[in-house]
Amino acid sequence: MTTDPSPAARDAALDTLGRYRQQIEQLDRDLVSLLAKRVALSKEIGAMKRVAGLPTLDPARGAEVTRRAAALARDASLNDEKVRDIFWHVIGLSRAVQVDE
Amino acid sequence: MIIITRASITDAELDAIRERIEQRGMRTHLSRGVERTIIGCIGDESLLAEVPLRSMPGVEDVVPVLKPYKLASREFAAAPSVVRVGDDPSRPGRVAAFGGPAIAIIAGPCSVEGPDMLRETAEAVRDAGGVMLRGGAFKPRTSPYAFQGLGASALKMLADVRRTTGMPVVTEVMDPRQIDDVAEHADMLQVGARNMQNFSLLSELGRVKRPVLLKRGLSATIKELLMAAEYIMAQGNRDVVLCERGIRTFEVATRNTLDVAAVPVLKRETHLPVIVDPSHAGGVADLVAPLSFAAIAAGADGLIVEVHPDPANALSDGDQSLSLDGFRELMRRLGPFAAAAGRSLGASADGARAGAAA
Repeated sequence: MTTDPSPAARDAALDTLGRYRQQIEQLDRDLVSLLAKRVALSKEIGAMKRVAGLPTLDPARGAEVTRRAAALARDASLNDEKVRDIFWHVIGLSRAVQVDE
Repeated sequence: MIIITRASITDAELDAIRERIEQRGMRTHLSRGVERTIIGCIGDESLLAEVPLRSMPGVEDVVPVLKPYKLASREFAAAPSVVRVGDDPSRPGRVAAFGGPAIAIIAGPCSVEGPDMLRETAEAVRDAGGVMLRGGAFKPRTSPYAFQGLGASALKMLADVRRTTGMPVVTEVMDPRQIDDVAEHADMLQVGARNMQNFSLLSELGRVKRPVLLKRGLSATIKELLMAAEYIMAQGNRDVVLCERGIRTFEVATRNTLDVAAVPVLKRETHLPVIVDPSHAGGVADLVAPLSFAAIAAGADGLIVEVHPDPANALSDGDQSLSLDGFRELMRRLGPFAAAAGRSLGASADGARAGAAA
């Protein structure tokens, strides 16, 4: 536990906290916008798969994407199991738009 | 199917094995133990028939899991699971651990009858060495005319008492529509015996980020109990504690018949913690102590006991509730049984919050 900070130190900390939170908000916006780009691209890929006569669902591709994400996560000192879970959801988003076509 | 890996396996080798499995449309689950790491495969095992997993680097053995419950099965985890309740940084207070070296005792009234009785009970339970408070808000009663519980206001009382005593609370959820509200106020969600096979409720609880206490149904087999746990776990929630609370037999001298053998059988079949409810099993306060001793001797990881400041005037299940003095006496008498079973009683180092102080 911390001891009571001085009012000035407290104000400075709150100020920094506010700025960090703004940065987090911007990162969240970026994440969602990247997800939207990924989904849009997946939709195009789905159309190309149909033209090329390839199956829409490709489990091998999903496995490769998660394997790569897990390795990148470890390099970035993130919990790779959690990142794997996130990527299965990301893949699910993309798959949904390809299947719904 | 589970894949047992060599102790020396690298992350890249683990990744490669998992990719081979996931390529076939299955999912994998990793369980890291001290001596070995296990990759559990979830999905249609016939998809793996042609995959030469045994020859992949790092693989020691490939074992089919023939049991219908997979995530819950003992083989699926490298070590018995410890379920931590109340381990939420946004909620200051203590953490209760089930499945660790300490036997965890949950106690409290059958139903929450008001803030004063709840606080009085909670403090007595905590001071006697209990690690969690129980209290019914929504009561599934056999008769629609019996007291049904205080509902939402009881949830608020439970949350208030958690704040003042620091003890995590468990309460029953009867309906998927109650889950959000109960999860907001309680630290652990209980599925009552009568709802053990309410599969829509179980699936919804699988999506909640709170541990679940799953009670065995009145006429449910051990396998059915494990399949009910599998329902919750299949949706992502792996924090399930099982509870043996007596089953229905021809015997009428006791309310239910405590299936003591279920404890070691479950401990053999699953990595999940197993606790016992001696209050509902016996149905009378006199039987709580002997059934608790039996449970601990059989290897239970905890108990859930009904305690009331004034059992004679309780609004529900007064006959089986211990008084506060009765609970203190029970805790004193449990000590030697816990020691004989090689366990400690109450909070342990395991119960401390991981990381920073509260």
